[in-house]
Amino acid sequence: MTKELLPGLALQKVDERIMTLNVGPQHPGSGHMRIIVQIDGDFIVACDPDPGYVHRGEEKMAEYRNYITNIPHLERPVIHDSCNVLYPYVLGVEELLGIEVPERAKYIRVIASELNRCVYTMYWLAIYGIFLGHSTMFMWPAGDRELLIDLLEKMTGARVTHAHFVPGGVRNDLPPNFEDVCLRQVNYFEKRIKEYAAIFYDNPILIARTANTGVLSREDAIRLGTTGSVLRASGVDYDLRKKEPYDVYEELDFQTNVLKEGDSYARSKIPWLDMMESCRIIRHALQKMPKSGSVRVKLKPNPKGKGLNSVYKRVESGRGSLGCYIVSDGKPEPYRVKLSVPSFRNLIALPYLLKGEKLGNMPSVYWSLNYWPVEADR
Amino acid sequence: MNTATGIIKALNSGIKHLAIKRFTLRYPEEKLKFVGDGYQFDPSTGVGIAGYKGRHMLFHDHCTGCQLCSIACEGVAEAIAMVKVPEEYKHNKKAIMPQIDYGKCVFCGLCVDACPFYALYMTNDYELSSFSKEGLIYTPAQLQVKPFVSQDSEIKITDRGATHG
Ligand code: SF4
Ligand code: SF4
Repeated sequence: MTKELLPGLALQKVDERIMTLNVGPQHPGSGHMRIIVQIDGDFIVACDPDPGYVHRGEEKMAEYRNYITNIPHLERPVIHDSCNVLYPYVLGVEELLGIEVPERAKYIRVIASELNRCVYTMYWLAIYGIFLGHSTMFMWPAGDRELLIDLLEKMTGARVTHAHFVPGGVRNDLPPNFEDVCLRQVNYFEKRIKEYAAIFYDNPILIARTANTGVLSREDAIRLGTTGSVLRASGVDYDLRKKEPYDVYEELDFQTNVLKEGDSYARSKIPWLDMMESCRIIRHALQKMPKSGSVRVKLKPNPKGKGLNSVYKRVESGRGSLGCYIVSDGKPEPYRVKLSVPSFRNLIALPYLLKGEKLGNMPSVYWSLNYWPVEADR
Repeated sequence: MNTATGIIKALNSGIKHLAIKRFTLRYPEEKLKFVGDGYQFDPSTGVGIAGYKGRHMLFHDHCTGCQLCSIACEGVAEAIAMVKVPEEYKHNKKAIMPQIDYGKCVFCGLCVDACPFYALYMTNDYELSSFSKEGLIYTPAQLQVKPFVSQDSEIKITDRGATHG
């Protein structure tokens, strides 16, 4: 073993049996990150995730921009889930600046963020399919996602990175006739995702490959601080939309999905079940939404926080609880913005899950953690 | 459910799709239709009008050269530069108007929100590729032109699946 090399920089023998293997950072299966695995034959003995390749300094950038111009770049960490990434920031700024949001805007936000959650989950599911060599499961979600992207495009004017939420409401009202189109496409979407059961979730080949791999027990899930679908797949019923309802979630009728197994299969099933709940939320919100009214309160240009003040808000994103801590010192720019992201929390569980697994199971265990490299690096 | 029936069910649900219409947009021949003529903003109420956020359109007879769009963009992408234009309009004392670099623009529309004189809107035009970097910079004269778009495909949902009709 050569001393000069950093761990993982070269294919090096640690001892007679154990070999170090780099997966990534350019591996199509790892995303923009590297997983350093040590294998003994076909079994993983240790694993060291190495994120940080797409660090963009979002948090530092936020200190140089005012509360409004922060919006387009703070949604960049997860472009497919951009409304949910922006949500805690917007809620936090509203509390800092003391803004009351109109009722209709709250419903529009809930609809937009549920559509976004589904768009993100479909993308994630498509990648999960291709990780397992199931190319139909890549094509179907990638195509059916289009139904919801089309709705978001009508609503916000952009296919991804919508920049739709602002402190005080949303940027524009719904287009005419949106309710009908939305209802029709969401109903069809729900019908389509139910068809995934036969080809993917009830498929014995998938179950054989993912059941009982990477099992995370309930105690470990809590101890490691995992969140979102990973936590719920391990039998902990924790969903911020229920536990700390924000905007109008307490008035809407939905359930949270919990599975006991804690294996890759359960972790991959929870987001799919969540999508069906999202469809229910969207339908209910469309029904309960006030039919007219203001959607945005007018702010002064360059709004300022009141003195030294801080706020922490969190929402349930497509991956889990996503928090935003904002400190204001009375200037138009925030003093500090900290994003507490679910991807990074879930990544912490990876070394525990992979120990003793076969190398071939690594992709399914890794992607079932609902991990998004860009979000973890911010 | 035993393994054999599971596999047959899975195969069956895939085979069914041979008879279902494809859900594919054949892009250059077909283009998706958007609502409205693009994102616009009403400064008096502070609410936008839903529309696609594409290339901008500048109304020379409204623009006063106040630079608010450029200031708004400074925090986002610094895509807007104010350039000299011929002195045609009395209300534009400094004779400057925005010039937008689409190599930098992220199509957030915050400049449209910032313009207090209804001079800057967005349109449905998104086909802006160019062979040079300079070709991406749109001068005020280019921004004045209303783009020609022919977008008419819509998602249609029938019993035999969704299509781009
Ligand atoms: S749309 Fe956004 S990035 Fe583009 S010019 Fe306007 S403010 Fe700048
Ligand atoms: S486009 Fe609007 S904001 Fe920009 S300089 Fe002209 S009037 Fe001012």
